[in-house]
This record gives sequence, structure tokens and C-alpha cells, in this order.
Amino acid sequence: MKGSENFFKLDYLLIGVVSIIVLIGCLMIYSGGFDPIEKVNSGLYKRQIVWFIAGFILMIVIACINYQQLGDYAHYIYIAVLVVLIFTTLFGSEVRNIRAWLNFGLFSIQPSEFMKLALVILLGKLLELRERDISRFRELLLPSVVMLVPVMVILKQPDFGTAIIFIPILFTMLFVGGADVSHLVSIILVAAIGLVLPMALTYSEWIGDTDASFLLKFFNDIRRLLVVAGILLAIAVVAFLLNHMYRKKLLRKIYIPCSVVSLGLFCSILIQNFFKDYQKKRILVFLNPDLDPQGSGYHIIQSKIAVGSGGFFGKGFLQGSQSQLGFLPEKTSDFVFSVVAEEWGFIGSLLLIGLLGFVMFRGIQTALQAKDKFGALLASGITSILFFHMFINIGMVIGIMPVTGLPLCFVSYGGSNLLMCMISLGILINIRSRRHIH
Amino acid sequence: MSYSSLKAKMLEAFRLRMFIYGSIMAFALLVLIVQLFNLQIVQGKDYATRARLNMESNIPIAASRGEIYDRNFNQDGSNIIIASNRSAFNLTTIPSRFKTKEEMRKILENLSVLLKIPLDTMMSDITGKNPWERVLLVEDVSFDKIVKIASHAEKFVNIDWEDAPIRVYHYGSMFSHLTGYIGSINSQEYKRLRDQGYKNYHKIGKTGIESQYDVTLRGKDGYIRRIVDVRNRIEDEAVGLAASAGNNLVLTVDYEVQKTAFDAMAENMGGVIVMKPSTGEILAMVSKPDFDPNLIISKNNSAIVQELTNNKDRPFLNRSIQSKYPPASTFKLVTAITALETEKATGETGFYCPGKYTLKGYRDRDFYCYEGHVHGALNMPHAIALSCSVYFYNLGYRIGPTSILRYADYFGLNAKTGIDLPGEEAGFLPSKTWKMKVFGQPWYDGDTINMSIGQGFLALTPIGMANFLSAIVNNGTVYRPHIIKEVRTPDNNAVISSTARDKIREIPLSPTSLEVLKTGMRLGVMRGTSGRLNFLKVPVAGKTGTAQTKSKRTEKFSQHAWFIGYGPYDAEPEKAVVVVVFVEYGIAGAVRAVPVAERVFAKLYDLGYFQ
Repeated sequence: MKGSENFFKLDYLLIGVVSIIVLIGCLMIYSGGFDPIEKVNSGLYKRQIVWFIAGFILMIVIACINYQQLGDYAHYIYIAVLVVLIFTTLFGSEVRNIRAWLNFGLFSIQPSEFMKLALVILLGKLLELRERDISRFRELLLPSVVMLVPVMVILKQPDFGTAIIFIPILFTMLFVGGADVSHLVSIILVAAIGLVLPMALTYSEWIGDTDASFLLKFFNDIRRLLVVAGILLAIAVVAFLLNHMYRKKLLRKIYIPCSVVSLGLFCSILIQNFFKDYQKKRILVFLNPDLDPQGSGYHIIQSKIAVGSGGFFGKGFLQGSQSQLGFLPEKTSDFVFSVVAEEWGFIGSLLLIGLLGFVMFRGIQTALQAKDKFGALLASGITSILFFHMFINIGMVIGIMPVTGLPLCFVSYGGSNLLMCMISLGILINIRSRRHIH
Repeated sequence: MSYSSLKAKMLEAFRLRMFIYGSIMAFALLVLIVQLFNLQIVQGKDYATRARLNMESNIPIAASRGEIYDRNFNQDGSNIIIASNRSAFNLTTIPSRFKTKEEMRKILENLSVLLKIPLDTMMSDITGKNPWERVLLVEDVSFDKIVKIASHAEKFVNIDWEDAPIRVYHYGSMFSHLTGYIGSINSQEYKRLRDQGYKNYHKIGKTGIESQYDVTLRGKDGYIRRIVDVRNRIEDEAVGLAASAGNNLVLTVDYEVQKTAFDAMAENMGGVIVMKPSTGEILAMVSKPDFDPNLIISKNNSAIVQELTNNKDRPFLNRSIQSKYPPASTFKLVTAITALETEKATGETGFYCPGKYTLKGYRDRDFYCYEGHVHGALNMPHAIALSCSVYFYNLGYRIGPTSILRYADYFGLNAKTGIDLPGEEAGFLPSKTWKMKVFGQPWYDGDTINMSIGQGFLALTPIGMANFLSAIVNNGTVYRPHIIKEVRTPDNNAVISSTARDKIREIPLSPTSLEVLKTGMRLGVMRGTSGRLNFLKVPVAGKTGTAQTKSKRTEKFSQHAWFIGYGPYDAEPEKAVVVVVFVEYGIAGAVRAVPVAERVFAKLYDLGYFQ
């Protein structure tokens, strides 16, 4: 294998599409940085171009190194990024009360962005190694721990939006990697019960809902919760022990749901007791911005106005009143898609989603064609990073997802995210270009 | 299971899962597209409107309120301006423009520091109002403060200013009850008037002409259409609609006459009405005690308004049209005209006055003549002139209450005159059924005797008495009293409309009966109760009255002074002017009321009203 040989096999179509997406992003950052009253531009788009050039070079370099070597160094990469992340969380510089940046004067780096990629690489390696045993429940432990450690660190920053994206990435990779679907569903159910019950209790209390459902009223008392959870757990334990002795399928059908619900209830007791009221409310507002219309609700309302007022053809470049006159918040980063939708309309939005959709398609294709399991897992993990960013970001902008502060890959302003995405793209190209080499 | 077959099976499983994964992604993208379609195509128009509302900030341009002049207005001369405006500014905001309450509080704090106004007053102005509507924060801000706010726009985000002229009442309390005053629209008024284009930051006329002619005076606000950014910086500005100033009013009131009557009343409580019977024009209308409308509309008015409201003498009451008193001896004219018109008596009908009148009955009851006078034999003109009560006891007893009340009704004494001022009260005439209903007693002859000389249950307004006398002077024809002569355009003072005289009543009265009354009133000036008016350069006629009432306030009997009169006594009605003076606790008509009338007549003569 020679580098020069590979270079000519690069996926030029994908590189072209991504370059167009980044170009659109730069135009939108130009538009968002323009002040129509002072007739000046913040110049942010220039920085984005510089980041793109740097990212492009990195992408080419990464594309030329055999991705399998990444697998060999996966745990080193993970630990290195994690150390930097912890260092940042302790000593980094703060922007809007989040300590997530390492400041180098001319530019700053957000290590949590690179943590996403490091996690995907490590998970890819782990799942490849455990490929045969992954259908066992206990095999899910290590991947979960690997995911939870950086999540805990990032929550400490505290960057809720970034932290939350790790969870779907893990689940996607577990699913693709061959984990038992019933295990995944059980975990999701435990988490759902553990989270939904205390939230529902807080919510009904907050809005003063007097005719809450019977179930909510019943569980409003922590002792009742404990009793129910305890009984279910006892049933599960008995059924589990009986199962050890008699091995009956029916018993499995009893102890799995019982333990799932019981664990969920215990989780909810923990959350109910250890989270302060304002913390629970914060999560509620995160899930439903309408609860706080002058806070995060304001962003969503303004964003929806921007998107909706764009109409079919849009208002034209630099003509969007919502973005140009500053009613749209974070218009160069998190809400950049609103600018696209306002100034270029439904047509422009469709085009951008189409281009991004092509990148996802290429990611799936790469995963299917990869010559080994590691490549396949890596490709699908990278695709999931790009996909969840896109879905959560655009979903937030158009009001069907909570406000999380996640950027839109390749489009939003932000050096670290763009670099991470370009590196990811390099890896994708790498995997694809080596699909026939054995 | 062989290794390769296992591998193949796992690959197949992997492909299936990738397919599911890809499908989920594709479905998710579809969801995004559907929502985009919903926002941009289905609801696109609504959101476009909301985007426009976001960036458009319509700043109202306050219409300048019409000015008020006295009756001698002419296009080029130097005119008497009763009310006009001076330049000032208002600060306003739209609360919903602030992202957070904290942000709003911070900006208002900056404002409170600059203008030295407590923050709480501004905050309380905002709370409870619709946050999408413009709220008035501070009034009467000087130009140099506006300059400071404009040059530190970043400290005063979302604060707008607008031209808001302040009303000036040039003669202060002299016209207080006539002009009235303006004030901020209150919530009940706003609810009632918002369909008529009134805004919650508007000022409206509260009393007097300002209230009655609010629609004429207020004009139409315009607005400046501004395109603003989120920090309220102005991107583009254009006049959306120019304000059109309110119309000017020319009053029928003569400043000189008003001033004379006002000064003549001095510290007296009561009212003066000067009116031309041939048209209904009010030349002067005074009510005492008064107030200064400039103080009421001033910035720190709460203490003043509080004091005026709590004042037991009720300075806000326009006594000329809103107070009712027993008409006393002035009502003898009503008794007289009733007797003459019903042909129960003529001018030569005589009664003997021994100082008292004895009403025969189960128990005889004596009614005394005023202050124990013994007038002897009198005919009707002399009885009027000397205000002999015994004469009218006899006359009243002869004609009976029904006729007297019927004639009082003809003269409209129990109705509002319909003067173009708010709050007019109608006079009160009793009746047999009314007495039965309220006191559970029949109408006694004693009631008739009392009513004949204007005492008892009667309660009439000064404007009602002015209208009655006008009917006598004008030979039975009564025109609606009014104070607006003309409405003129604000720019070139062209006449838009002028008030035509409005006949409200025509009472068929025989010239001979009118002659008896006029002679009686003239004799009253020459030899009787209004004697001091005899030295005027114009021959006037009049009737005094002294009402005895039990004061609600002090529970003591007190005497109110009336004078109703006109001049010149014998000229045609077109030249005549009626003067009505009422003084509360005025001892007797001759003591307090006649001197006021004297000065007014003298002034009217000097001004040439009788020619």
C-alpha cells in the first residue's frame, strides 16, 4: 500500500459535497455576522475559512494513514483526550458559565468535541474485540462506563447539550455492534421510568395540576414508591433464583420486566431525592422551553419566526430581518440553520438537508462496504455523530427538539467542531478508500 | 456451526441492523422536512407577519391638542388664548421587547438614575398591562434629557421617546370649570373608548370643555414607522402617518366679562352666569371655589388632587350648572307669570300686606313677610319690586300649586338646559304624588304658600334660572345655552362650524304679562331690593332672592343670595344680556349677589354689549 496510490482513490464526491456545505455555512456566518446598521461584518466567516483549510489538510492527512492503526491506539487516544478534557474542566477558560475551552490566545479548542470522536474510536475497537460475546448483558458494562466517564466530566463543565449527545451515539454503536435489542430496550426503559416519573411529579406540582392521574398521586409519596419498587425487586429476585433451579422461559418473562420497572423506580427515587427542585425544573425547561417563555423559550420563538417567515424562496441573502436585525440569537453557531431557512427559504433548507443527507448516506454505505468490523463500527459511529448533531440541531431550530446548544456539523461556526468533523470525514474517506484492500 | 457460516450470519445481521439504522435516519430527516414545510409553507404567512411585527416599531406622533380662544377671536389680531400646549417629551416602551424581566429592570434603573424618578413607580406602571402594547413610562421629559438618552442608546435599550406637548391653561383657575382639564385615560375609560381609537397612553379630557369636546380637540395621532433591530437601534425610519392636530375652539365666553365676574366673586362661594337670551351664548360662567387646572395636570399632582378632592367646599363642582338651591324670591316671578297667564290676576290685582299672612285651617298658621316688613297695599309690579312675600302668599293660594308647577315645567325648570358642558344637573320641582311618595303626606296649603315664594321643596340650578329669565326677556323663546361659538381648523383657523342658535322652547306668553314682570323687576332696581344697580349707565332690571336652607354641613339655617337680572330693561331682546348670580351663605341677595351683578353690568356696558 502506498500513500500516493490511495490519494487518487479518495472520495471526491463526498469531499465536494462537504466543501459545498462548509461554503454555505461560511456564507451564513457572513450573513449572521453582518450588521446592517453599522454596515460592518464581525469577520467570523474568515476564521471559519481558516478552520476549514486547517481541517481540510488534517482530513487529507488522516485519509492517508491506515485507519486500522487508529484502532491499535484507540485506548491511548481515548485516555489522552480524556486527560485534556479533565484538565479543561478544571483549569480551562469559561464562556457563558461553561468551562469547556482551552485558550491558546489566537484560538481556543473545545476538547469535548474531540471526545466524541475518541469515544467512537474506542467503542469501535471494544465492540470489535467483543463481537462474539456482545449479546451478553454484562458485555454492555464496559462500553457504558467508557461513555459515562467523559459524560460525567462534561456535565461538570457543565455542558448539558454536549454531554447528552454521547448517549445516542453509544446506543447506535451498541445496536450496530450486535448487542441484544431486549437489553438495549431494558436500559432505555429503566432510564425512561427513572427520569419520567420524577419529572412528571415535579411538573404536575409546578403547574399546580390538581387532577393529576391516579398513578401520579399514588407515587407522590416516596414510601409508596419504595414499597412498590421493593416488592417488584423481591419478585424479580425470587423468579431469578427459581430460574437458576428450574430454567423456565416463563420465569425470564417475569423477572426481566419486574427488575426493569423496579430499577426504574429506584432510579426515580434517587433522582427525586438527590436532585434539588430547581435542578429538576431546569431539566423540565430544557425539555419544554414554553415553561420559561422569557428564557430559552424566547430563542425558540424567534427561531421559528425566522424559519417560518422565510417561506418558500426565502428573503434573499443578507435580507433576513430576523437574523440581520438580531432577533435571532446565536445566529452564527447553534441557530445558523434558521438563517439558511430565513434567507433561502424552504428550497434552501431542503438543499442543505439533502446535502447533509448525502453525507449520512455515504457514511452508511462506507460502514456496509468496510473491509472489517472495526471499520464498519467506526463508520457507523461517525455517521451517528453527524446525524444526531444534525437532527437535534435542526430539530431545535424548528421547534421539535429541546434547546441543547449543539452545533450543526460543517455549517455552524466553531473551530473544534469543524476540525472534529473534518477528521471524521477523513476517517470515513479512509475506510471507504480501503474497502477493497485486504 | 462453522466459523465462516457464523461469520456470514453475523454479517447478515449487521447488514439488517445497518438497514434499520439507515431507515431511522431517513425517517428522521423526513420529519425535519415535514416540520419545515409546516413552518415555511403552511404557516409561512403568519410567521412573516410576526417577523414584521418584530422589526417594526411604530412610534406614535402625538397630535397637538386644539387651542381654546375667547369669543373675540379674529384671524390676525392678538387673541386671548385660554388653553394651548408647550413642547415636552414622553418616554415609552413595549415590555415584551425585553428578553427578560431582569434586563427590563436594569434599563429602567438606568432611566431612574438619569431622571431621578423612583424605579418602583415605573415598574408599577408596567405591571398588569398587556406586554405587547406600548406603555407610557415618564411624562414631561426635557429636551436635554432626551439628548442624553439618545447618545447612550446602549444604556436605554427599548426606550422610545415621542413628542408629547403639555397642556397649558393660561388663566389658571379663572376658567377652571369651563375648560376642565385633561388626564391619563383610566382603565374604565380605556375599556369604553378603545374601539374609538383611544390608546392606553392617551390623555383625555376629564371635565369641562376638554371632556365635552375631546373628540374635536384631540386630533389624530400619527406614527413614525421604524425598522429597529433587537437592541432598538434604528435601521430605517419614515413617517408612516403624519399627525393631524386637533381643531381649535372659539368660545362664546368673553375673557373680559369672565375676568370681571371672577374677580367680583372674589372669595365668595357660588356661581355667575352671563348669557345672551337671544342666542343662548354664555358670555361668562364662574364657579367658586375654583382650582388651577395647570396644577392638576402637573407631574407631582397627587397631593393637590387629594386636597381638592377632600375639600369640603367641593371646588371641582361647577356650581353654575351642577348645584341646586331653593330659588327663593326669584321664584316669585314664576308665581306671578302663572297668575297672569292663567288670568287669575292682572298687574293691577292688589293685596294688602299687614306683615303676615294667616292660613286658615284646623289651626291657623302665620306666614310672615320678609324681615317683618309691612308693605301695605300693593299691585303686582310693586310686590315684585319690594319682594313682598305676603302678596305672593295670597297669589299662590289663589292659583294653587298645580298651575304654578305646570308653568315651572313650561319654563323647563325641572329639565336640563342641554348646555354643552358635562355633568349638568336638572332642577327639581316637587309634585303632589312626589310628596305622598316621599313623605307619606298629602300636599298641604302650607306647601303651596311656601312654594309661591320659592321656598320649600324647590331646588333649582343657576343655569335653569338663567334660562327662565331668558324666556321672559326673549318673549317666551328660549335658546339652548352654549359656550362654543366656532370650531376652527388648526393650521389656518378657518371656520369649520359655528354653533347656530338652537331653539329649545317657545312659551306662548302674552305681552301684557311680560310687561308686568319686566316693570316689577325694573322697579326693583329703581326703588326696591336691587337699588344699587340704579346708578349704572344702562337701565337694568332684576330680582333678588334670599334662600333659607338647612345646611347639610353645619345643620344650621343659612341664607343663600340670588340675583337674576338683565339689561337694558326696555330695549329689544337682541341687545339684552341676562346675569344670574348665586352666592352660598351670601346673607341676602342684596348684600352679596347684587354687587357682583353691578360690576358685571358695568363691564358689559363698557364693552358695548347693550348697543
